[in-house]
Order: sequence, then structure tokens, then C-alpha cells
Amino acid sequence: MSLLDRTQPPGSGEFRQFDFPEVQTEALPNGLDLKICVLPRLPIVSVNLFLRAGEGSLVEGRAGTAVLTGDALEGGTLKRSGSSLAEALEGIGARLGVSTGWEGTNIAVSVLADRLPEAFSLLAEVVLEPDFPSVEVDRAREQQLADIRQRSMDPSALASDEVSRRFYAKGLPYARPQVGTEASISSVSRDQIRGYAEACYRPGSGGLIVVGDVDPEQIRSLSGEYFGSWIGSPSAVDDFRVNAQTRERRVWILDRPGSVQSELRVGHVGVARTTPNYLPLSIGNLLLGGTFTSRLNLNLRERNGFTYGVRSRFGFRSQPGPFQVSTAVGNEVTAPAIREILSELESLVVDGAKREEVDAARDYAAGVFGLHLETAGQIASRLNQIVVYGLPDDYYHLHRDNIRAVSTEQVTSAVKEHIRPEEVQVIIVGDAERIVGSVDALGLGPLEVV
Amino acid sequence: MNQLAIPLERHRLDNGLKVVLSQDNTVPIVAVNIWYGVGSRNELPGHTGFAHLFEHMMFQGSKHVPKNKHFELIERAGGTLNATTWFDRTNYFETVPSRDLELALWLESDRMGWMLPAMDQEKLDNQRDVVKNEKSQRYDNQPYGDWDQRLQALMYPKDHPYHHPVIGSVEDLDAATLEDVAEFFGTYYVPNNAVLTIAGDFDESQVMDLVQRYFGEIEAGAPIPPLPGDSCLEPIIGSTVREHVLAEVPLARVIMGFRIPPYSSEDFAVAEVSRALLGMGRASRLYRALVRERRVAKGVVTYAFPLLTDASMLLAWATGYPDSTPEEIETALTEEIEALVEAKQSEVDRAIALTETDLVRALEQVGERANLLSMFDLYFDDPDRLNHELDRLRAVTVDQIRDFAASQLGSDNRAVLVYEPKRES
Repeated sequence: MSLLDRTQPPGSGEFRQFDFPEVQTEALPNGLDLKICVLPRLPIVSVNLFLRAGEGSLVEGRAGTAVLTGDALEGGTLKRSGSSLAEALEGIGARLGVSTGWEGTNIAVSVLADRLPEAFSLLAEVVLEPDFPSVEVDRAREQQLADIRQRSMDPSALASDEVSRRFYAKGLPYARPQVGTEASISSVSRDQIRGYAEACYRPGSGGLIVVGDVDPEQIRSLSGEYFGSWIGSPSAVDDFRVNAQTRERRVWILDRPGSVQSELRVGHVGVARTTPNYLPLSIGNLLLGGTFTSRLNLNLRERNGFTYGVRSRFGFRSQPGPFQVSTAVGNEVTAPAIREILSELESLVVDGAKREEVDAARDYAAGVFGLHLETAGQIASRLNQIVVYGLPDDYYHLHRDNIRAVSTEQVTSAVKEHIRPEEVQVIIVGDAERIVGSVDALGLGPLEVV
Repeated sequence: MNQLAIPLERHRLDNGLKVVLSQDNTVPIVAVNIWYGVGSRNELPGHTGFAHLFEHMMFQGSKHVPKNKHFELIERAGGTLNATTWFDRTNYFETVPSRDLELALWLESDRMGWMLPAMDQEKLDNQRDVVKNEKSQRYDNQPYGDWDQRLQALMYPKDHPYHHPVIGSVEDLDAATLEDVAEFFGTYYVPNNAVLTIAGDFDESQVMDLVQRYFGEIEAGAPIPPLPGDSCLEPIIGSTVREHVLAEVPLARVIMGFRIPPYSSEDFAVAEVSRALLGMGRASRLYRALVRERRVAKGVVTYAFPLLTDASMLLAWATGYPDSTPEEIETALTEEIEALVEAKQSEVDRAIALTETDLVRALEQVGERANLLSMFDLYFDDPDRLNHELDRLRAVTVDQIRDFAASQLGSDNRAVLVYEPKRES
């Protein structure tokens, strides 16, 4: 056997062109955006119904109502109790999941293709004829209150909530946790839940996305049969404008005595999903802290051994979400870790991105996009983004080419515009007594232990 | 649904490496997945956490691959990668655009064949720190974070290979030397203790030539040594064993473990379906009773661990509400689990239907296919078992479930781990 020269990595083979699958789009008369995509590989279907019933359109005193309504939705219909509903769905092997975010509520079903008509009928029953029995509303409310209690002792959830509280001006939806607060949830009544669903579970500017081993004609006919007579638009819309709480760099230590690690979040208010800088900024974030070989991870994990991992992220929402670096580090290296994070932010903003790293991040983004076109659920969630953020119908068909077209200059200019080290809020959830001295000595700005 | 028909082909190299190929060229991506037959059960006393620390070292470069190049090259190709360590095995995997299959084979073969020349003290010290941080983040700084090590210690005697946690102890990690690393590698990371699966888009006429080219010259290792410790175990615990933990946790949680037949036994299927009746989905017994009707728990979890040695575990846990007491949660959990002796056929049908959907969803991803094929080949010498998984579960009868509940889920085979919130005084 001839010995192989192993010293160089093998080159890539021939590129095989592969496009985002074809999508049939149709605006239904009631305002629902129907999108159908045929994936015949396995006999499975994902259905996503997106409604504009999100936490972003609620006033502060009612925070968490959209989440609660979504959770209580599986509590039963006019035709059957919660348990009978679960039996009917699971009896045909259907998985129903409701998730609620800032922009809306997503009701997702996945089921084997031969049970799709029954699943469609049950989905319609759940959404159009919910009953919200008191006992089930009480149960969902107690679960949500227990979630809030759990968050209050989970260092990572505490840090996220502190980010919201310190980044955004008081009173804004993004300044509070999506699940609401004990005060806002305890007082929500069954009637308010019913009223909310009645007003906001409406087809206008929503989406119905069906992906998998389906016949498009059958989907159109099922959609008409079950959702055709459903009309109206959600009564509440999110029309707030985002303001930062401060432009002054500050340090907040949320005291959690006995912590063996500090949960760190460093960042500020970012930018909306609709920014023209979306792709350059996404590439910039990848090389800063979005991959294993990013600047932050190589520094904090691989060079310094400070952490198990560190990431940076722009939370792209309909309004500017948070930009943040997040990690968990040992008490004794809390201050050095913060110093390294800030120095990485500063050097990126001052010196800009390097061409080799932009090339690498761009190749990664283009390649990974193709990796996530396998499953019905993956395709459905992409199509959902089109509906949620009003992206053009051909958005994902052009996505890879658009990624490849991003230049180093665009990345540098985007990160300079949207990352501002002098304005960051440094959030630490940890044992204040053990870290406050060394963190204060960094001299980053006013420090408060809360 | 009809019979699953995931195609597959098996090969074996002269050095003992088992190879499974499964073609599907729908999407131009390919998964490369290696399972090594080594996990925490192979660790000697004083060396706990070693298999996992070693997993980290496998990303620190090999003779022809400089530190961090592994990640850099896969990410540059637009791929994803990771590795995990568990009781019975360690797996390494990447999914890449299909044109970079050769890159993945070069990387995986280099660390299988040429790992040791690249080891040094600095890398070991760095990854030891990373692993300690992982332990702090995922176990020590998390409410309930130590549950699995407490439950294992309750369920398995001190000298049993499943007694200690996969993450290991800080003392043992601190004591690890480069010589230990070299010995561990030489013993377990050998082609005759591994399965390589390639699933997805590849050229059938070339793929085995590539495998042979990259893995063929790696030398076979010695036979794998027997498991350390005493792996003789009674099939049931023999009594109710318990631990009560007063801790900084937000809500009371009761965790129950039961010894069940090992994954390698025919009877494991009965345990698997039983656990689905108990806790899979919202029509399951525990969700319906504890969450919906009795309202003593905000959530329930059940799981049948697929473990190979002597006895595996069936796990059931319930997390209470702020005003729930551990006693009422435990009572409800006990009663509902014991009531499984009255299981009905309709429940079995529901569990099978959900399992089927979940399996088909998992198989949509070549990465999952590869992972399951590697597992079935390593554990059972039968990758085609993937295509018969559902038949194995469908064959379980309601009478078997009732018998299982009576013989395995009672007070003579129960480990109870209770977390109770420390109240402010």
C-alpha cells in the first residue's frame, strides 16, 4: 500500500448546485399568506400557522398574556376537553406545539403524511373553536408563574432578564421578560384570555405554511375548507419605537451569593431584522463570536481557558433587539474575561474585519445555509421568517448568492456602525462580594450591585 | 406507515474498522460519524471524567492537523461538528457539503491514527480548565445540576461502572497526566473499537476507496480490556432507596429511578414503550394525572436510558408548583406509576404512533441517520436494526407492559431523589 501524503488537507470536490426548494405562494382572501413546499423524501409534513398575536403588542400591565393564551390553547375546544384533544392528536401521531414570541404566536403541527387531513381538521378546531376552560387557564397560569419562579434562580435566565431591563428604556415591551411578571400574570382572568384570543387569533397578515410530502391541490382545498371562512385582523399591533435606557457605559452586578461562576452579558441595543446591513452584520458577528473559531471563543476558551464557551449575537426582531456577548466564567477570572471581551469589541471596531476572516465567515454562512434545508421543519421555519418580517418571496432563493456578495468593507462598516464598545452595559450575575473589587478596578464606568 | 427502508451497506477494513454507508443524495450534504466503544463505564477508579476530557483533547489537533484547524476547516467548508461522551460510548461527527467528504475523512482518520504526536502539556492544561468550566456551568451553578450523579449513586453500587458521573470529579481531572492520556488513547481509540458511518450524498463508486485511503493504514490495537469494577448486579434494587436534598432550587422536584433490563436485552422494548405510556406527550398518564388533573406538578419527564451493562434505568420526574410539597408529588408519582398495571391497548397505540412520527422526523437528517446507524452497529452489530426499530416496539403487548409495571416499577425497585427548596428563615 502506498503511503498517503497527509500533510495537506484534501481540496474540495466539485460544487453541486442546490437551490432552496420551490414554494407556491398564494394570498388567501382572509389575509393569510399560504405557502406550500413539496418535499417528497419522507412521508412527513410540517404545518405552521403564524398569527400576529405577540408580546410586542401588549401594554406592560398585561405582559405575558400572549404566552399564557398560547399555552392555554391546548386546554380544550368546544368539542373536547384538553385530555381528549391530546388523545385525538397523539392518537394519529401528531405533535402540536405552540410558541409565542414578540411578533406573534406560532402553532405548529408535525404529522405523518397519511394523517394530514385529520391533523388539519384538529388544528382548525384548536384555533377557531378554543374553549379555554377555567381549570385549564388556571393550570397554564400556575405553570407560567412557576416558570417565572424557576427563572429567578437560573443564572442564565436571570442574566437575560437583566439585559432586557438595563438595555431598554423603561416601559418598552423589550425591557421585560416575554413570560411577563408575577404581577401581570396573576391577575389575568379567563375572560381576558378568551377576549385576547377572540381579538388577536385572526388570519390577517398571518401565514399558513405547509411543507413536506404533500399534494398542493389537496393543501389548497384543506385550507379553504378549514380556514376559508375565518376572517378579521388582529386588533393590537406592535407600533412602539425602541430607545436605549442610556448611552453611558455601566456595570450591573446582580448579586447571587454562593455562585461558582459569573454569568456575563456585554452589549447594547442592536438593530432591527429589516436593516439593510443584516447580512454584513451577520457575517461580522460570526467572526466576532458566532463560530467556534471566532475571535471571542479562540481568546476566552482556547487561549485563556476562562470558559466552556462564549458567543455573540444580534437579536434581530421587528424592532431593534439586543446585541450581546454571553458567557459564563469562573469567579476569579470574571474581571479578566470582561477585559478580553471589551478588547475584542474595540479591536474589531477600530481595526475592522480582516479579509481572511470575512472569507471564512462568509463560506461558513453559505455552506451552513445549505445544511439546514433537509427537513420539513427547517424549510417551514425559513418560510415563516418571510411572513414574520415581510421578506420578499425569493429571499431564500437568493440568500446564498447574497451572502457570497458581502465584502470586507461592508462588514467593517456595519460593525463600526452597530457595535459601540463605549456604550455597552456589562451585566454580571454572580457572587458580588467575590468579584466586585476586581471588576470595579477595570474602571469601565459606574458600577451598581443590585 | 409502511416499513422504513433506509438503504445501507456494511464493510470492514483489515484493521477491524467497521464501516456503514447509507446513500441519499436528495440534498448535497454528507454526514461522517464515528462511534468509539469507550465511555465513562471504562474509567478506572481515580480516573473519572477521563473519557470526556479525552473527547476535548481530540479537538486539539493531531500530527498533520494543527490546533484549532479541525474546527477552522470544517467551519470554512460550511459544516457543523461536535462530539459527545456518555456511559458506553463516545461519538464524533460532522455534517458537511458533500464536496468536502474527503476533508472530514482526513480529519477523523488523522486523529484516530496520529493523535499522540500532537499532544502536549499546554493543551492538556487548557482543556482541563475548559472542562472544569463546563462542569461549573452545567452542573455546579445550575439548580438541580447534580441530579444525575446523585441518582446514579443511588441506583448503582460503588464499584459498578455506572456509579460515577460522566463529567467526573475535579480531583481526578486534576490528577490526569499526559501519560494517562496516551495510555487511554492507545487502549480505546483504535480502529477495532470503532464504527465509521457515512450517510447522505456521496459517490458510491469512490467512497470505499476514500475510506481505505484515509483509514486503511491505521494499525489495529490490542483487544479491548474488560470493564473495570464489579458489573454484577441484581435486576432490581431490592428496596426503596432515597436521598433528600435541601438545596437552592426554585421548586420541589421528585426524581424516581427504576432498574430495567439493559438495552441489549429483548425486554428493553417493553420498558421503552412503558415509559412512553407514562410520560410521552400530553395524553400520557403522568401528564394527564399530575399536571392536568391533580395539579401537583408543572411538568413531568420520563426516559428509558439505553445502557448496555447489566441493568439500565427508567427515569420519571415531576417538578412541583411553588406551594407543592415533595410528599404530595412523590405520592402522586408513585400511585400513577403503579397504576400502569392497568395499561390499555389504546395507550399503546398512541405511544407507537408518536414514536413513529418522532423517528421519521429524526431520519430527515443525515446526521441523525448516521448517528443511529453507528449506534446500532457498535452496540448490536446490526445497523439494519434502524429499519426494524418500529417493529420491535410494535411487538410489545399490553400484557407485557402490565407485567413489567408489576415486576419492575414497585417499591422494591425504586430510587427516590427529592429536591426541596431551602426556605428563607
